[in-house]
Parts: sequence; structure tokens; C-alpha cells
Amino acid sequence: MVAKGKLLYDWPGQGCEPELRLQNSAQLAREPYDVAIVGAGVVGCALAFRLSQCRLRVVLIEKHYDVGEGTSKGNSAIIHTGFDATPGTLESRLVTAASSQWPALAQKLKVPFDPCGALLLALDDAQGAQLADIYKKSLSNGVEDVRLLAPAEVKELEPNAPDGVRGGLLVPREAIVDPFAAPIAFAEVALANGVDVLLGLEIVGVENPEAPVKTLVSSTDKRIAARILVNAAGLGSRALADCYGGGPFDINPRRGQFLVFGKYSRGLLRRILLPVPTPQTKGILVTPTIFGNLLAGPTAEDLPLGAPDDTDTTSEGLQAVISGALRLLPGLQNQPVIAAYAGARCNCAQGSYLIRYNDGHPGMVTVTGIRSTGLTCSPALAEYLLEGLAAHCGLKLDPKPDALEGRPESSWPGWWSRPYENAEILRRRPDYGRIVCSCECVSRAEIIDALNSPLKPRTLDAVKRRTRAQMGRCQGFECQIHVAEIISAHLGIPLGQLTKNGPGSELVAAA
Amino acid sequence: MNPGERAAVVVIGAGPAGVGVAVGLARRGVGRVVVAERRQSVGGVPALYRKESGDVPTFLLWTRGRVLFGEQLAERLAGKLPAAGVEVWLESQVIEIFPREKRISLVSPMRGKLDLLAEAVVLASGARERTPAERAYITGSRPGRVLFTKNLLELAAKSTLPSAESPVILGSDLIAYALSAKLKAAAAAEAAIVDRSRGPQCSLPARIYFRRWAKPSYYHAHEVRVAGRRSVSAIGLPDGRQLRCDRLLISGELTPSSELALMAGLRVELRSRRPVVNSSYQLSEPGWFAAGNILGGNHGAEWCYRNGLRVAACVARYLRSVRAAR
Repeated sequence: MVAKGKLLYDWPGQGCEPELRLQNSAQLAREPYDVAIVGAGVVGCALAFRLSQCRLRVVLIEKHYDVGEGTSKGNSAIIHTGFDATPGTLESRLVTAASSQWPALAQKLKVPFDPCGALLLALDDAQGAQLADIYKKSLSNGVEDVRLLAPAEVKELEPNAPDGVRGGLLVPREAIVDPFAAPIAFAEVALANGVDVLLGLEIVGVENPEAPVKTLVSSTDKRIAARILVNAAGLGSRALADCYGGGPFDINPRRGQFLVFGKYSRGLLRRILLPVPTPQTKGILVTPTIFGNLLAGPTAEDLPLGAPDDTDTTSEGLQAVISGALRLLPGLQNQPVIAAYAGARCNCAQGSYLIRYNDGHPGMVTVTGIRSTGLTCSPALAEYLLEGLAAHCGLKLDPKPDALEGRPESSWPGWWSRPYENAEILRRRPDYGRIVCSCECVSRAEIIDALNSPLKPRTLDAVKRRTRAQMGRCQGFECQIHVAEIISAHLGIPLGQLTKNGPGSELVAAA
Repeated sequence: MNPGERAAVVVIGAGPAGVGVAVGLARRGVGRVVVAERRQSVGGVPALYRKESGDVPTFLLWTRGRVLFGEQLAERLAGKLPAAGVEVWLESQVIEIFPREKRISLVSPMRGKLDLLAEAVVLASGARERTPAERAYITGSRPGRVLFTKNLLELAAKSTLPSAESPVILGSDLIAYALSAKLKAAAAAEAAIVDRSRGPQCSLPARIYFRRWAKPSYYHAHEVRVAGRRSVSAIGLPDGRQLRCDRLLISGELTPSSELALMAGLRVELRSRRPVVNSSYQLSEPGWFAAGNILGGNHGAEWCYRNGLRVAACVARYLRSVRAAR
């Protein structure tokens, strides 16, 4: 895929080659952009992907040093059907629409996807009584292939479900997905279609929000001119809205902690196991991951306003995850845990899916409160925003005939289709047989392929999310430094200057 | 895929234990012995303990009352292999084992993906340091500059040992104490040792040797919260104290690298990850053996090598009996 757009990093220090660095605003186009999207989570990336199919000049701006670094990387990696959404809401409409788009979209974007289905378990009589209501709710949400199950049927489908199970609801089209690949794929196609992508650039001001062409100012004093600004900054959307006088809303991050179990445990489960939700929370679920692990979580902890970066795990939180998971799957007791992580949902006190066009000033668009359904909804939300931008902001949507709609075959990640299984590929490039990450069997060539991929990932975490190197049971014990050496040698960056997640996280601190 | 090759014995791992097994078997003339090693060189973890000026020798040969660097020990071990006539396949990653068929599947750049059939197989894949999630008492954020001991040694071997103003070591066994000596030799500030245990997990003589008596140490740390966004900045102890920290080392607490056995259905104790062996080091399937730190514990290179020799004797006895029966 040849990139028509520019990819630049605003990167102080030596962790990235000079050619990729944004040194001054003159490197960008002189003409103002039609749309600047701030925030390259899955929502921002999906919007960039859709806009890139029109004759428009678009820039995607992200403060982190890779796309999908916020809420998009700390979730349960499920594509929901929306069977349990509140009927009639925008969220429910978008989830339903997106759910049917995903199977074909995942194939086009080369995003690993598996419609393994979900099973909601009633563990006592009170929960059993609720199943019928949830069933009716599913039907009114347009999810008509759900099925009520007797206890014996539940045990037949999931032999490791708890013995006292009172019944279940089967949701066949709930799916699991590679959550990291989704924003990456959207952004790669957008870049190929001519969208400029700026990473490591934090927007801290808008100079003239009332003018037809606005000037976005970064913390490093770079200036970007655009006619429309779409605020897709997630947990950072309030701070950004303050830069342009956006209307009142508050972000209450809701933290979710997760535990990842090793591949050994994968056989305990075929489908996503869901608890019966309470009025407060959907509860702790257990799901297979597309990578072949099991995942349990999330907790639902409301964090105080203004704590948007708190994705710490806590021992109480992880304990709650374990006990919740054991209720659904008692066989998880003593199974090897390989990692714990947390993400913060972008919860908006004024309601979910808060979308305001011409917010404060013409051309300012706020998209926030996407909670926990962003990954699922992203394609439908992008479509919805496109219509809104045309209707409310006068954006002209001329289709670009030669625009790409997906990624080439070669974009399937190595872990999904093993290069070493193909003797011809191995013969041509023996580095595909040089295994670096023993847990996930990732080869040297796959790491180099990732470095050369369109978004030019330059941090260890970014390479990890693309290749899975360091994501296995040993969590980098075996390969962290080997991976770093390969990156260092391939790019000519000193080993000590390589970063985990951007400047400030170098392996060796500057003296 | 290449057609399967055959060997009398395949040894997985060329650390001290694997070398011991291979040398012991070659001496007995059992036939073709192949050692599959995933890395580019023989020697395993000890080879990472390089000899540097001003450094503290970190391997103790108690039996001979000698002290030397791991690197020297690894070189000695590696030197025994060619003389013994053992084939060592480097950069050969075993991806799956098939106990019933006595078959292993491996991938290497030169040979591609191939299967090896053997009369007996020895797992000598060693052990690794437990991850923060496995230790369960380490919570908080997941920032940069958090390394396992092994990562630090590798980094030191490739560039310079990263200096640190306020390093913290999580763990208090021999590996942790040797690491604190290593850091000190590299002119880093004195490391604080933090562990959830009631006291150091390292023997008194070793502690005296590593001169780490009276250094700051914090025990009973039933929860350690890592703080810092891009890089680690502090760690929080259960009593509310915050220790400054610019380099966090996840040290010691070895856990057997028994994943191949576990995934293949050989018996493995889930909690300890130890493969179950009988008195002749045989696993739950006849013809499969284990040697060295994969058996559990935290043994030095010398113990592992000697254990390898003992396991070789058991494997040879097994081969004799099987061949005789044929």
C-alpha cells in the first residue's frame, strides 16, 4: 500500500528517525485542511477512513505515539450485537447497524475476527426470571437470532459452565476481534488514501475558533489550519472542548480492570460467557480472545472527574475480576494468569454518544461519551458523522473513485496466518524462521515488516500490538531486549533510546 | 515441510542442564544426540553474567569453594559439546511436542519448519522470572523502565549498564541479591529490595557474599503499586509509603518453562508449573524426561549441569531397556 498522505511524528529526542519527524508546520500543506480529526482512537480512525473515501483534505492528529493508545487498547475486544442495549437510543441503533457490517469489514480490513457467539448465564432463580425480559429486549433491538436455553442445553454448549446454572440466552452473532488491528487498519487505509497522520502532537489551543479557517496549536507550538475540527479525543475531549468554547459536558472515566489467562485455559470455553446484568453494571464476563487466551473483566469503577489517565490496576479490582469470573467459569480456579490491565471508558455524565455539531462555534464538532461500545460502533458511527457533517457543517462529500476500501492480503498479522507454515516464504526470507518471541512464535521478519508498515510504528508497545511479540505468557522476559535490538539495528536508533510508548520511556534514561 | 528427521535423543535447551544431558548421553554412545537451542549461542542464562572490570563474580561453585563469572562457566560448558560429538542446532525454536509419537516440531531459519522423531526427548528449557501478573502482588500502571533481571543483563551486554538514581528490586532471592551487587558495581545507586515475604529469600552466606546486609529493604509488601505514566516514577507500599524509583527490576521467583509439556498434555502441577516426574526424571509419558530448573527451584549452573548428567544416565538406562525389548 503506497501512502498518499504524510505520516509524521512530533518526537523530541532520538527515538525516531529524523525523516519522520515533524520539525515545523511548513512540512504540512499550506492550504487549510477541510477536516482535522483530533484523537486517533478507533472512532477517530474510523472517521478518517470514511472521510478518506471522499475528495477532501483530512488530517488525523494524535497525542500518543501510535493510534489506538487510549480506551481503544484497554477493552474486552468484543463486537457486540447490541442485544442488551436500551432500545431506541442512538447507541443501540449504531451498534445494531455496525454489528452486521463487521464480518465483511473485518475481511476487507484484514482484521482478525471470529463470530464465536455469546451465552448469557442465569446463575440463580432471580436471574432465571430475568432471561425472558432480556430475550424480549433483544428482539426489540433487532437481534432476532437469540435463543433461550434450558440448563441442559447450556451444559451441552458449554460443558464447563457452573453446575447450578438455571438457564441461558444464546446470542450467536456476538464476536471477538483483534482490538489493536481495528484502529491500525482504519488509519492505514486512510493514510493510503491521502489523509495526513500526525502522531505525538497534542492540541492545546485553537486560535480563532470563530473564523472559517481555524488554527490548531500544539503543545510544541506547531500550527495546523483546518475548516472543521472533529473532537474525537475520548477521555481528553473535555480539555479539547475548552480550547474552542464547546458546550458543557463532563467526563467521568469508568475504569475496567481485566485479567488475561494463558493459552492453556483456552479449551475451557467456546463462547463469550456473560452474566445477567444488574442496573449498575453489565458485570464481569469471561471471553476467549482472538489470540487464543481467555480474558476476564471488566470491573466498573467510577473515577473522579479529571482523572482521565488512571488506568492502574488494584488488588481489590483484580480480586473482583477473579471472583466474578469464577462464578461463570469455576474451572478458571488456579489457571495461569499472564497479564493484568485496565482501561477507562469515556463515560459522559450528560449521556452516551454526545454529538454536537457547530459546538460553540461553526465548524466545531464534539463527539464524546462513546463509553464501551466504540470498537463495535466505529464503522456505523463514522457513517453517521459523515451525514451529520454534510447536513450541519456543509461538508461536500464527493466520492473519490480510486479510493481504497481495505488493506492488501499481506496485512494479515503473522500470528493469524503463520509465515513459517509456508516453505516457499521461509526459503525466500529465512528471517521468517528466526523466532524472536518464543511464547507467541513471532519471527524477526515479522517485526521488521511491522516497522515498515504504513504507520511506521516506532515504540516497543506499538510493535507489540502489531506482532504480539512480548504479549505472551512471559511478558517480554525472553524477548524484550531482542525485539529492541532488531528495531535498533533496522532503524539505526541507539538501543538505549528505544521507547516503550514514546519519549520519556526510553530503555535507558538520558544522563 | 521437510520430511521428519530421526535422532536417538533430542534435548530441548542448551543451558547448563541441556549441556549436561547431551554430554552424559554422548559419553555413553547412545547414538545421534541433537540439542535444539532457540538462541544463537549455547550456555543459557549464566552466559549473560558477563565478566566486566570491577564487577562482582556472581556464580558460586560451593562444591569447589570457587567463585567465577557465569560467562566463564558457560564457556566451559560449551567447550565440552564438540568433544562429545553432540549436534547443536542453534536458532531452533520448538513450537510443539507430540508425546505419544515422540515427535517435536521446530522452526529454524536454515532448516525451515521440520519434525524430529526421537527415541527419547529431554526437556531442559529452564525457568523464567515470574511476571508481575503472576506474582499477583504487583499492581498499578505498566510504565517503561520496568525490566526483568534477564532483560537488564542483556541490555548491559549490548550497550552499557543503565545507571539509575533510585533502582528498586522486587524479589529477594539469590538472583535479586546478585543483581543488587551487579548494579552497585556499575555505579548505580544502592537498590532497595522489596518483597512480599517476611524476610530475604536468599541464604545468609550468599547475602554476606553480596555485601547486602544493611541496605534498605522492605518486606511484608503484600501489595506493591507501580506509579508512573511513561516511565516508572515511584512504587507504593501497603503502609502508604512511596519509594522513589527510576528503574524497577522484576527479579527472581523462578517459574519452570514447562509450557510445551503443559500444552501437550503431559502432567504438570498447575500451581508450581513443575512437570511431574518419577524418581528417574521421567515425565508422565515414557521416553520423555526433564532436567535442570524446569523441575522447579532456583539452582545454579553447576547443579543444573550435574543434574543433566544424572538425567542422562536415566535416559541411557531407558534406551537400553527399550532397545533390548525390541
